[in-house]
Amino acid sequence: MMNTFEQLNAIFCKVFYDDDIKITRETTSEDVDGWDSLSHLNLVVSVEKHFGIKFNDAEIAKWKNVGELMDSLEQLIQQKQH
Amino acid sequence: MQPFKITCNQYNIAYYCTRYQCLNGNSQKLAFRYIGHKGDSCDYSFEDLDGQSNRYANLLTQLGIKKGDIVFTFLPKMPEQFFAFLGILKTQAVAGTLYSNFGEEALADRLGDSRAVAVITKKSLLKKLMRALPQLEHLKYILVVDGTENDEKALALPPMLSNASDKFEVSVTGPDAPSVLHYTSGSTGKPKGVQHVHKSILTQSYTAQHVLNLQDEDFYWCTADQGWVTGTSYGIIGPWALGVSQLHYGGAYNAETWMELLENEGITKWYTAPTALRMLMREDKKIFKRFSLNKLHYIFSVGEPLNPEINLWAAEVLGKEVYDTWFQTETGSIMICNRPGIKIKPGSMGRPIDIIEAAILSEGGRPCPVGETGHLCIKTPWDSMLTAYLNNEAAFNEKIKNGYYYTGDMAFCDEEGYYHFVGRNDDVINTAGHLISPFEVESTLLEIPEIAESAVIGAPDELLFEKVVAFIRLKDHVVWTDDLELKIRIFLSNRLSSIATPQDIRLIEEVPKNKSGKIMRRVLKAWYMGEDPGDISTMDI
Repeated sequence: MMNTFEQLNAIFCKVFYDDDIKITRETTSEDVDGWDSLSHLNLVVSVEKHFGIKFNDAEIAKWKNVGELMDSLEQLIQQKQH
Repeated sequence: MQPFKITCNQYNIAYYCTRYQCLNGNSQKLAFRYIGHKGDSCDYSFEDLDGQSNRYANLLTQLGIKKGDIVFTFLPKMPEQFFAFLGILKTQAVAGTLYSNFGEEALADRLGDSRAVAVITKKSLLKKLMRALPQLEHLKYILVVDGTENDEKALALPPMLSNASDKFEVSVTGPDAPSVLHYTSGSTGKPKGVQHVHKSILTQSYTAQHVLNLQDEDFYWCTADQGWVTGTSYGIIGPWALGVSQLHYGGAYNAETWMELLENEGITKWYTAPTALRMLMREDKKIFKRFSLNKLHYIFSVGEPLNPEINLWAAEVLGKEVYDTWFQTETGSIMICNRPGIKIKPGSMGRPIDIIEAAILSEGGRPCPVGETGHLCIKTPWDSMLTAYLNNEAAFNEKIKNGYYYTGDMAFCDEEGYYHFVGRNDDVINTAGHLISPFEVESTLLEIPEIAESAVIGAPDELLFEKVVAFIRLKDHVVWTDDLELKIRIFLSNRLSSIATPQDIRLIEEVPKNKSGKIMRRVLKAWYMGEDPGDISTMDI
């Protein structure tokens, strides 16, 4: 079974239509072709739907890289489990 | 600054942007500073620009690229974009540019229609290009700027370029030789290839000097991507024809980064877009207090009408005025503008430049009286005007009538000679300065198996000027779900581009059409806006 980071990577591949994307915590929007402010919404909604969580709008605006997205995601997954 | 002048009947754009500058004492002058998204910075002199573009010209010549062939760049903003673009022009091939966010369908349409023989791209964009490849029978070469080894379909540029000479003699190029090709969207049919010629440099350099007010000592920043006409006319040709130093930033919009660049780099003239300025307006004003923009003389904008609120905000927060400029891919350079030296009329397009003649014409082709809305037209010819829509003479003939180019914009002229944009006379959507064809989006939507019918309109939007709104009818037994909506968005983003992806998708029982089957977008727009759709007697019910 894929861990959370691997699942997130799979979502990136689907949203940006590229099976070779390998994200790291340091990956930013500049490192993935097509990841702009408009396609970012597709990414956020895809992550929310996959994990059954909802990000806070202010939080989304602050992410600087995949690592920060991942931190928010893990926090929400933990909250959901409790 | 000396005005730009043609010498020895040489009109070649790339020659004036590079070699000519070196011959006129600018060889060691900064041509551009490239700053990457991570803050990495590299300076290139005019001598560097000349040498690097010569390598591209030599390599393309060795590959058999010849005068009149069409070669595209499919690159984000990066140094190779500029070297390749100028190198192509030096060989007298036609330089097309493709926005790096384009998906496979957008690429196939443009590369296929133009019968391009080569594309210069980078590794991370290759997949999109490869998916379009089966439709591109004329494409001989895919050249990869960061490639390391050749394969059967793509050639690695670095080793080939390092073996190419940095000397290249640019042949004398006539004024009417084809130069730059940009694709633009119409409301019907596929995107059209707008062909320009080398003498466009005359109008582009004139407006760079007399509208953007560029001077020898300026450090100028044009934020436009080279995939669009502003990025080539005013991010390459106009400023470099005058020997002006430029900043090119490879990162995306970020308010603090942009402010840092303006301050730290000492930008003196800045050309950007209303959407970018509206995004800045939404930021906390405290951000701007940290930066000093006292070197910045002028801000210009282009792409969509500039709302007066932006001018009020810029005066209060940045302490600057913003000069709105108007032009189109077809006009090749600024035609109507607010500019230093004449009073800004906020909300207006400004006044025509001195070297063209604009007119507001009625349906019958007569000049409209002051204050009356009509077709905004430009008297032909002017040096940077389109010379053709590639392979589409009928579309070209529709636009040029009785010696006037019909812009498709409706406007009026006031008693002081200022022009005011009223709207489009077609269904083209202007979202954040990018023209989107409703037809292109509708066609792509129909590729999704669940969709039976589609119609696309532009609706007013506070940030983007217009947003793309799609109406779809699902096939029988298909149920609308959030998953399907997401699937549609992702599909459009990857097939066309993220800017063409609808901001709003509405379900509809039937797409309104007239009796000849044409989608009645006017009716949809009225429904969407909660307005009266007017006469619907021609609707097929």
